[in-house]
Amino acid sequence: MVKKRIIPKFLLRDGRLAKGVRFLENMREAGNPVSTAKVYDSYGVDELIFLDIDATDASRMAVCSVIERVSEEIFMPFTAGGGVSQLQDVNALLRAGADKVSVNTAAVTKPGFVREAARAFGDQCIVVSVDYCRVEGGKHRVFINGGKTLTESDPIEWALKMQDNHCGEILLCSIDRDGTMSGYDLEMIARLAEKLEIPLIASSGAGSLKDCQQALDAGASAITISSMFFFTDHSPIKVRSYLFSQGLNVRASKSSRN
Amino acid sequence: MIAIIDYGMGNVRSVFNALDFVGRDARITSDQTQIDRASHIILPGVGSFGDAMRNLRERHLDDILTVQVAEKGKPILGICLGLQIMARVSEEHGRHEGLGWFDAEVRRFQFDEAGLKIPHVGWNDIHLQIEHPIFANLKEAERSFYFVHSYHVVCRGNLYVAATCRYGFDFACAIARDNIVATQFHPEKSQDNGIQVIENFVNWKP
Repeated sequence: MVKKRIIPKFLLRDGRLAKGVRFLENMREAGNPVSTAKVYDSYGVDELIFLDIDATDASRMAVCSVIERVSEEIFMPFTAGGGVSQLQDVNALLRAGADKVSVNTAAVTKPGFVREAARAFGDQCIVVSVDYCRVEGGKHRVFINGGKTLTESDPIEWALKMQDNHCGEILLCSIDRDGTMSGYDLEMIARLAEKLEIPLIASSGAGSLKDCQQALDAGASAITISSMFFFTDHSPIKVRSYLFSQGLNVRASKSSRN
Repeated sequence: MIAIIDYGMGNVRSVFNALDFVGRDARITSDQTQIDRASHIILPGVGSFGDAMRNLRERHLDDILTVQVAEKGKPILGICLGLQIMARVSEEHGRHEGLGWFDAEVRRFQFDEAGLKIPHVGWNDIHLQIEHPIFANLKEAERSFYFVHSYHVVCRGNLYVAATCRYGFDFACAIARDNIVATQFHPEKSQDNGIQVIENFVNWKP
């Protein structure tokens, strides 16, 4: 059966890796994306996600060039995104070597965009990134523009609507937990995974091996990990071995696959 | 030289990069002369079946490829949608005729089992049904490859099934006959195992 995926998520600013807390705080430089991607390839991770957090034209071109360089040397699936709002943006990233393109703001501001992009490039190419945060009254609401703009949408209803619009996967990001390494939002993952027919990639909050297991047990098809890889001594090999020992269906570690 | 068929269906660059990585000269092309000069042909593809066939026909590639493959016996590797269009017919968004190189139909995944997501995306193990040169020397004991698709091929009889994969049920994930071989998974995205498959294909002399 298809294996649960472990995906490092790389945030890029002007073509360099960056990582912060709750999207906007304490942004730290986290290295050269191409050499870092090669290290993760040698760890045998399942996929890579590159998100441009500047979302300016210049910055997006830098992402294309990163993807181009990475795809010359690394042969695994890549998702790229950040400021994607036109079909030509999707096309540019796919041509650079990305397999999937992540859409966030334009899914809200241009209501037909996800459907149109899915029709043009195939459902499986379009990943909708659902960024959400707890707001007053204990409700959850979707945010766009890199977590800066509140919308009226409930994250579960929004994700299901995006599924109806033919996106191929949902990337679920909790702004409250992003970069905190305090664990994934298991309740939201479980509620959404149960309703979704497409794969759910759980993001935000990984801090321990147990967190990773719990997110997958809650129903996620894949998990993204950023801070835990960049700023602790947990490697993808350790995560994979742990999940494997807990009976989860993941690929064996690269060193033991031979 | 290896011809990678360019018919406007998805990311051909990764296939080019993989060939470059194994040290082979490759051209991304839809030109008959180039294809004629090639020793091997790769037919990639991402997108929908109907669009793929329309694009092939517009460029007369359906006839060009059939001559190369059926009359000249040139080795060809289909990848993902490139596998599916080698079938007789597909039910993706209506009914579309394919190249018909395999007596096979393309159907959407349908499951009795709850909780199986569509598309089938991620790494899954393949189970070889025959010894085929493109699966020689796989270095990793775990034979997992990267898949992303919502439709799969159903062959009439098991004659052409080179490998199967389990997702709800066993489906054909590699098919082969004579000088034709095709994989539903993406070798160009399947790390070491995938690169080995690509290398095996370009060294294959059926």
